[in-house]
Amino acid sequence: MKRITMFVLLLSLVASTVFGASLPKLRVGYVPEPAHGLYFVAKEKGYFKEEGVDVDLFQFGSAAEGLAALKAEKLDVGTFGTTAPLLFINKGSEFTFIGGMMIGGQAMITRPERLAELSGKDLKVYKGKKIGLVKLSTGDVIFKGALKKAGIDYRKDVSFVEFGTVAAVVEAVKKGAVDAGLVYPPHFSLAEKNYGLKVAHYIEEFYPDYTCCRIVAHTKEVNAHPETYRKFLAALIKAYKFYKTNPDETVKIYTRALKIDEDIIRNETYVKRVAESNPDPLRKGILDFWKHIQEAGYITQDYPIDRHINTDIYKQALDSVIKREPKDKIYQQMLTFYRKQN
Amino acid sequence: MAAAWARTILAALLLMLPLAAVAGAASLGAPLRLGYLDHPGTALCLIAADKGYFKAEGVAVRLVRFADTAEGLAVLGAGKIDLGAFGVGETLRQIADGKGLRIIGGGGTERTADPLAELDEAAVRELENGGIVVVVAEGRRAPGKETMTRCVTALIRAHQALLKEPETAWHSVARQISQPAAAGSVHFDPSADYRRMERLWRSANLQGEGRPRDFLTSHVYEEIYCDALDRLVDRDGLQDEVLQKLFREAVCVPDCCPPDSKKRNKTKGGSS
Repeated sequence: MKRITMFVLLLSLVASTVFGASLPKLRVGYVPEPAHGLYFVAKEKGYFKEEGVDVDLFQFGSAAEGLAALKAEKLDVGTFGTTAPLLFINKGSEFTFIGGMMIGGQAMITRPERLAELSGKDLKVYKGKKIGLVKLSTGDVIFKGALKKAGIDYRKDVSFVEFGTVAAVVEAVKKGAVDAGLVYPPHFSLAEKNYGLKVAHYIEEFYPDYTCCRIVAHTKEVNAHPETYRKFLAALIKAYKFYKTNPDETVKIYTRALKIDEDIIRNETYVKRVAESNPDPLRKGILDFWKHIQEAGYITQDYPIDRHINTDIYKQALDSVIKREPKDKIYQQMLTFYRKQN
Repeated sequence: MAAAWARTILAALLLMLPLAAVAGAASLGAPLRLGYLDHPGTALCLIAADKGYFKAEGVAVRLVRFADTAEGLAVLGAGKIDLGAFGVGETLRQIADGKGLRIIGGGGTERTADPLAELDEAAVRELENGGIVVVVAEGRRAPGKETMTRCVTALIRAHQALLKEPETAWHSVARQISQPAAAGSVHFDPSADYRRMERLWRSANLQGEGRPRDFLTSHVYEEIYCDALDRLVDRDGLQDEVLQKLFREAVCVPDCCPPDSKKRNKTKGGSS
């Protein structure tokens, strides 16, 4: 009996080693922002393995570093903002957007005594104001896009003070050197908690469903191994469903993985819902973002950026998940969202 | 007895002085050999050396003069200098020919004083191609990223000095340049400026058929300039007008992450 048990155990060990070793592998880079947790949900809940892909996750301290690693083929796929991959692609890097990680997330903070004058649903409250921001951040690009959509000439009617870091923006708001500052998660929550600053607006109020961090991969790898990337995205789609239906456990996973305060994660993700972790590629959002970067003068030459967006793999991934669970409401909502955004 | 103690202490101090000097020099590392031309566009490198900006950034530098860019790049390629301030046109041509070179910073480009001459595209292009960039060899022969960032930080500081006190700055390097520039006749830019490099690259038809779209990007290391600029902005803030202007003009990938997130970790996902 013992020998049979040992034999079965040995057989299981060999099988798991053989099958584990045969899964295609992806080296995935990310930055520790609150909405990047889908990778960790997929990992902890076993979705990558279920879908048939082996994933190693690598944290980077900056988007430039992560994209340099992707360019040097030390990564297979990564999530490094929207501005950064667009700048790299503009300079010739052969990356393709295949999915997303975060929608929304930027907020305008101000001192408490300024809150009343900056409240309301009209962006005109920012005319004549001095706004601090991190140059070329998502907030920089999207806020200018929102002003333009509202018919405000931001070059004439708004002053921008550019900073190198979000900490410098918060400091400038605190000291009154600027009237308000554009910051990203978790910095507005930290600014509220640590310095008593207030959120005047979440930019989503003026620009719904704008793209933040996107998933990019090497174009040649995506073309050579679309099935591997499909499996990767299918795992993230399942992770999204878990994120939508299991807030408590998701908060714990995000907190452990990203080392950000649990209350802040919970507040931003589920209470105030300032950003959404969402794997949809948001093709239209990327194209709008590209247009805004050009209008802001950061990129002077036009380029057919649409060549670098592949929504088919995501759609196939979504279809594969829906086929298995055709009545699932979350997946059906994702399909509706996909059709609208791509 | 007291006098004997005093002599002992004095002797010990005198012995320690050269050791301290050696230790100081050792902390700067072996001097980088920086090649330069007799061209006003190399002034940023010369000012940085003369005013101690390289030293302040922890980099020891030894200047090595060259007659022309071709000679300088050949010596750089052979590993006999570590970086050089050389002509951009020839540098780009050699990059197109396959030489392993990377541009990490900028220098000065002469301008014509004649406003009508600006209409002569060929003449303007010739002047632009004669402008100076700071170049390193690729691969193992290149200084480390931190060293390159410190060097470019020193160049930015030299640029600030040149704009704020031009006479003093030029005077300090006059003996090294046989034809110092007249005021305003050289435009300085310490950045690698990929957009300008790309414009010069395309106007010289260097891209050619079959070359990957990001070929030139691989040879223009803008990240070094962006890191150097970030370093100065973090250190000094954006009070300085020269720094403000450089910051406004730079197109650098924004730093996205919360503080204390610079460490790189691997989280194994293999058992997922």
